[in-house]
Amino acid sequence: MRNRSHRGRVGPGPLAATAAALALVLAGCGSGDGGDDGGEFSGELTLLTPIYEGSDGQRLLEEEILPAFYEQYPDLKVSVDYTTYGNLNEKLTTAVASGLVPDLMMMGVGWVEAFAANGVLANLTELGVTTESLNEVYNPAIVQGGVVDGSVYALPVMLDTRFGCVRSDILADAGYDEPPSNLEELREYARELTVRNDDGTLERAGFDMLSMDLRQMYEVFLFANGGSLFTEDLSAPAFNSPEGVEALQFLVDLIHTDRVEDIGFSSTDAEVHPLLNGRAAMGVCHNNLWVSLQEAAPELADQIQPFLITGTQPGMFFGGTLVTVSANSDKQEAALALAQHLTSAEASLLANEQRGNVPARTDLLDSDYVQSNPLVQFAMENLQYAQREGGPPQWLEIRGDFAPAVEAALLGEKSAQQALDDLAAAATEAMSR
Amino acid sequence: MTAATAPANAAPAPSRESLVVRRILTKLGLHIVLLFSALTMLVPFLWMVLTSVKSPTELLQFPPTFWPEEWVWDNYAKALDAAPFVTYFRNSLFISIGHTAMNVVLASMAGYALARLPIRGREVAFIFIIAMMMIPTYTKIVPQFLIVKFMPLFGGNDIFGQGGSGWLNTWWALIIPGGLTPFAIFLFRQFYLTLPSELEEAARIDGLGEVRIYAQVYTPLIKPAIATVALLTFQDSWNNFLWPLIVTTRDDLRVIQVGLAVFQQQENTQWHYLMAGTTLATVPMVLLFLVAQRYFIQGFTNTGIK
Amino acid sequence: MTTPTPAVAVPAEPATGDAVPPRRGAPAPATRRRSARRSPLRAQRRAGWLLLAPALAHVAFWIAIPVVAALALSFTDYTVLRPPRWIGLDNYVEILGDEVFRQATWHTVVYTFFTVPVAMAVAVVFAVLLNQRLLGRAFYRAAMFLPHVTATVAISMVWLWMFNPQYGVLNAALSFLGLPTQVWLSDPDLALWSVILVGIWQGIGIKMLIYLAALQNLDQSLYEAASIDGASKVQQFFRITLPLLKPATFFVFVVSIIGAFQVFELIYVLTDGGPANATTMMTYEVYRSAFEDFRMGLASAQSVVLFACLLILTLLSRRLTRSHDE
Repeated sequence: MRNRSHRGRVGPGPLAATAAALALVLAGCGSGDGGDDGGEFSGELTLLTPIYEGSDGQRLLEEEILPAFYEQYPDLKVSVDYTTYGNLNEKLTTAVASGLVPDLMMMGVGWVEAFAANGVLANLTELGVTTESLNEVYNPAIVQGGVVDGSVYALPVMLDTRFGCVRSDILADAGYDEPPSNLEELREYARELTVRNDDGTLERAGFDMLSMDLRQMYEVFLFANGGSLFTEDLSAPAFNSPEGVEALQFLVDLIHTDRVEDIGFSSTDAEVHPLLNGRAAMGVCHNNLWVSLQEAAPELADQIQPFLITGTQPGMFFGGTLVTVSANSDKQEAALALAQHLTSAEASLLANEQRGNVPARTDLLDSDYVQSNPLVQFAMENLQYAQREGGPPQWLEIRGDFAPAVEAALLGEKSAQQALDDLAAAATEAMSR
Repeated sequence: MTAATAPANAAPAPSRESLVVRRILTKLGLHIVLLFSALTMLVPFLWMVLTSVKSPTELLQFPPTFWPEEWVWDNYAKALDAAPFVTYFRNSLFISIGHTAMNVVLASMAGYALARLPIRGREVAFIFIIAMMMIPTYTKIVPQFLIVKFMPLFGGNDIFGQGGSGWLNTWWALIIPGGLTPFAIFLFRQFYLTLPSELEEAARIDGLGEVRIYAQVYTPLIKPAIATVALLTFQDSWNNFLWPLIVTTRDDLRVIQVGLAVFQQQENTQWHYLMAGTTLATVPMVLLFLVAQRYFIQGFTNTGIK
Repeated sequence: MTTPTPAVAVPAEPATGDAVPPRRGAPAPATRRRSARRSPLRAQRRAGWLLLAPALAHVAFWIAIPVVAALALSFTDYTVLRPPRWIGLDNYVEILGDEVFRQATWHTVVYTFFTVPVAMAVAVVFAVLLNQRLLGRAFYRAAMFLPHVTATVAISMVWLWMFNPQYGVLNAALSFLGLPTQVWLSDPDLALWSVILVGIWQGIGIKMLIYLAALQNLDQSLYEAASIDGASKVQQFFRITLPLLKPATFFVFVVSIIGAFQVFELIYVLTDGGPANATTMMTYEVYRSAFEDFRMGLASAQSVVLFACLLILTLLSRRLTRSHDE
């Protein structure tokens, strides 16, 4: 609904009906005047972004990336609304509710489905962007993060990836030359590498799984164990399949049976990743662990070694930031031009470099930046294994319940089966709404 | 440890010396308790300040150091460079001053009326004001945003609020909606209630109008309440974050807390910078408190009347 | 102070006996007072509305309209992305059956029950202590108030460190005392209590400030009279200070309850409602519904439930305390 408070001032009326009418009117009005017939564009484009924040990001965008765009389109002006991921949803919500939607919106993997399914995003395939053309530049799995019902709605700028990492020096001390190659080895190494002092206090976790958001951590194991979040046709949850339950049970056992880490030993709020100060020998990590390492412990550069957590298949998780065009925009083609510029090799390389993230474009594997960042390089070399979150439009309603469910299992409040079944029931209900 | 609101006074004294000893012991005990409590309250801030001058390498250490091995004052310079803090600081200051001025004037007027003037429906109005505190920010924020966006005749809007952006990206949106809080109305009402009614009767005999009785007779008597409302309003809007972020799209209208959010990226919080920035943002508020608390001095209001 | 007895005094000096003549003279000679001819009631009413109108209009426009909007939306399936559809009481039915929201409600009640009275009691005692002439008074006052000054987000992060099981200050203190260390925020049985601890710590300052302001308006002659009668300071505190602070106490009580029921940032930063929903609160669920799940309709219904709880509590405490001043 557009605005009941507004109507409250203007005059009464049946709530939903007028709201819907208002929505149509506003959608028609758009956000400004002018229009263009392709070719030369002019006017102002608005961009809402959770990245490029802070002075560094802003400088990058406004002094390097956008000037290159203006060279091509001198009559366009881009007005940027900076936010952070922490408040992106509030910005998106108010924008969509008021009908004042920016021409371009950057959002995360998993957001696109809901926004596309409800007609907020422009169908880029109708503007000439096809999956086939994107598959030449990106890994198909990544392209799918912006595809809904066969049409492209979003272009990837950068990826956040999660995979296994070990401290090779700690492994070497224990006589292991290589990271574990399967889940059984992972369990065995982790048990071996766990250090407790005399009173049983954990001093070094054999395998750290608590420093990362529990949903994303679990998903790495879910994928590694051959499970998936939803059925192929996205009609029902699939994480409570035997593979999914087994993956969660594996994590529960790591904590309760093998005791390779204690609840509370680390958390997503931990200011230091335990791998960096030797408080963990192995763990699930994010590619920008490298940034923290460079800043705080550059001497460890040779000791942090990434690996693929492998069950029945290698598991890697990717999320990321994509750029979309508003369905409301009266300058969709100009907006698409900017979106393509932001995802171009040069611009996306700069953005990734600033944040220590993984470029989505395959052609950037050889860039100096990727070659100088072992974790990013590793992620890019193994992108064929990467799987993403999301799928159904209701994903945003489901994902928030994941962490409490995984946590309940890890705490022993529920069995792995029970936790995932309850979660699946909630997901099914959400998907039926 | 006992309460003592009255000035020191004579108890039925046994002997002069034991009395002195007792008073010294009482004072000493009082200071010990206060010092302990103050430290309890201060430890987190101490940690914040100490963290703000540590290097990332030192933050990595386990177990962590309490006292910095090396004082990296550079963190402050770097934190200030991470966002346009001069602009943000100025904006926060404008908004806070605007909110404070509006709130003190409008809320004290309303509080006075609710406390002392025999208007019909006073109780209903009072309950209404309290009830307006009971809906969480997150529920109100979208409707409030829509009111701002559809503000008629502003920002290219027509009389029905269509066609433009209303108050978005304006100082109006930053200052007006948050410029009055039910909290302040309620607080002023309670303070006006405690004053004696003899004053107004006398003032009426002297021929003072009702509004002047409010402004010149009663309001000067509640300076501590004014100081309280001013302090709390200023500080709330200083720390406000979400509303300024939502109703603006331009960076030159953003506020200091938005700048601090830059240090908390999704997967990587820059603790040393965040703490340096927060320390800097807190200093003006502490100074403000030290100024405001001077109004809380025993006898202040009484001397004002006599 | 553990049983807050909010009261709203009639606009007159609280009854304190005839022994003490009112000391607060008007600018005009005190002898004139009782003989006053009351100005017409109409003039007072007019002035009343004049003074009240701007505030009332502002509140109605910026808060009441959004509140009514929320009420209306609570009967819809509004998701922001889709126009709303009327679904009657479905949201409320869902809330009734929602285990997590039930837990959130219970946690909110527990949180309020423990933070509000404790923080109020500590605050009033400190306000009285810090109202006397004392070396370092400004420092003590500032220290007590400091937790309220800093943005909750930043200060919650410092608390995360203090709660840290490996090196946090709290566990250091426990092992110093020879007690077993705890995992605080990661322990489902302890997490809520940890949050309550921070809530109390953070809530003392503002309550103390209000009490401190209220203390300035108390009539000193009462204390002089009482000490001549030989009342000890403790007796004075209970017999004079507390009764005179009733209007302030009513205010602090109502505002604290409302604040405690809406605790959000603390949860958002400290626990995200975890572990396994052990610390989720009503407002946190409202936030999740609205801005994580994009279910604005449900969030509105949850807010209406919260609103109803608070309104009942407030009206109840008003009813209980009005009787003895009118």
